[in-house]
Amino acid sequence: MGKKEKSYLGTLERGIKKGERQSIARAITLAESDPASFSTIIKAVYDPKKYMHVVGVIGPPGCGKSSLIALLAPKLVENGHRVGIIAVDASSPFTGGSFLGNRIRMQDVLDNDKIFMRSMASRGAKGGLAMGVMNAALVLGSAGFDYVIVEPVGSGQADVDILDIASTIIVVLAPGLGDEVQAAKAGLMEIGDVFVVNKSDLPGAEKAERDLRYFVSTSPPNGERQKILSTSVRLKRGIEELLKATIVHETHVDKDAFKIRRLRLEASRIAKEIFSTKVDELAKEKEKWIADLSYTSIDPYSAAERIVYAVESRDR
Amino acid sequence: MVNGKNLKYSEKPIRVLIAKPGIDGHDRGVYVLARAFRDAGMEVIYPGLLPTPESIVDAAIDEDVDVIALSLLNGAHMAVFTKVMKTLNKKKVKDIAVVGGGIIPDEDKPKLEKIGVTGNYGPGTPLSVIIEHVKMRAFAVRNEKWGRKKRAT
Ligand SMILES: Nc1nc2c(ncn2[C@@H]2O[C@H](COP(=O)(O)OP(=O)(O)OP(=O)(O)O)[C@@H](O)[C@H]2O)c(=O)[nH]1
Ligand SMILES: [Mg+2]
Repeated sequence: MGKKEKSYLGTLERGIKKGERQSIARAITLAESDPASFSTIIKAVYDPKKYMHVVGVIGPPGCGKSSLIALLAPKLVENGHRVGIIAVDASSPFTGGSFLGNRIRMQDVLDNDKIFMRSMASRGAKGGLAMGVMNAALVLGSAGFDYVIVEPVGSGQADVDILDIASTIIVVLAPGLGDEVQAAKAGLMEIGDVFVVNKSDLPGAEKAERDLRYFVSTSPPNGERQKILSTSVRLKRGIEELLKATIVHETHVDKDAFKIRRLRLEASRIAKEIFSTKVDELAKEKEKWIADLSYTSIDPYSAAERIVYAVESRDR
Repeated sequence: MVNGKNLKYSEKPIRVLIAKPGIDGHDRGVYVLARAFRDAGMEVIYPGLLPTPESIVDAAIDEDVDVIALSLLNGAHMAVFTKVMKTLNKKKVKDIAVVGGGIIPDEDKPKLEKIGVTGNYGPGTPLSVIIEHVKMRAFAVRNEKWGRKKRAT
């Protein structure tokens, strides 16, 4: 790394520690796109003593996730928190383009220096998240945001990847968006901590909530942990209860255990990334060699082992 | 595993904020533009109405976009676009490009260019022209970002 680049990253690092939005925003861009620079930044700003509570808000498309986050975030701020929001939309697998529309529902509450919102495209990542999500959360945590809300791509499936980064999962459902039986089948009932039937102003909401109670286990051990409530963004109803349920769940999370788990998962994810970068580099460096490997009579496993061996011996 | 992993920063999708700084009832035109940008491989952020220059600039900073596309059909473009540029300057933001669109009389165009708002396309401009222009501005600011990264003091 050049001297100038180092000093630029230094500027970003100081900015992040001071909570400056421009530095935070640029660091998140690097988190999405430039692993080498980003690793330098994280090493400088990450504080292992800090705990950042990550909340996942999941549910089918259009159930009101963004609208609820827009009401929840200011309430968390009133409770003394600083709130980061990362909302993911899918990238087109064909053009790589994406329409990032979650900000529309939140724009009204973003004029607040204790709230930072970032839209992110999945860029081909699976599981409703994007590669940069956890990295962006690390930046926000280092900048003093102690609550980070993640909204994955809307999905009726239980995308369990969110469990790796969030310790409180809010599952949002809405009447008329596919029935609760389907949600139960898809496994959403198993991964949630707080279940919200949103749009309670619409017909069918009561029935939806009643049905939901059949599928969400209300008996211990889950019963103590899982909570069902109903909200209406339109009527601003149930938001206080949602806040309370979120905070109560947070206090029940074994933070040290979760931190260790998250660190372990992150570290192995990053290690895989580093290794796969090396394989790609090797492929570029030794294009002919790799091509030969696959075109001669060798089987794919033996070819892969040779590549692994080549990467390992190059590092030595 | 992941699209475009390990690509250089400058090869990542262009991020563009479509900003509508006033109520002028032309949501549909904005959607057409958003879709065209998306289909051209860009990441398009459309936050709805952004009533003040501050809200536009703040959104652009937080989203770290390459380009702000300002769209205004109600004739207030001179005043509003100028305010956006002033706010960007006040916040010392130099690496976000601003392009404009609307019903802009020819005599206003050089004035807007001078303060840094380029394009200034009217209704009926082929989308491909607008896309090419946004790409051109985006790559220019990205070069600057890279340059600054190398040249930072
Ligand atoms: N009637 C009613 N409409 C609501 C309520 N909450 C949200 N909506 C509307 O539902 C639509 C979708 O809301 P969003 O907040 O964008 O939903 P989302 O789950 O974030 O959607 P995706 O991000 O696209 O998956 C919007 O038109 C909202 O205005 C509610 O409580 N009642
Ligand atoms: Mg949403």
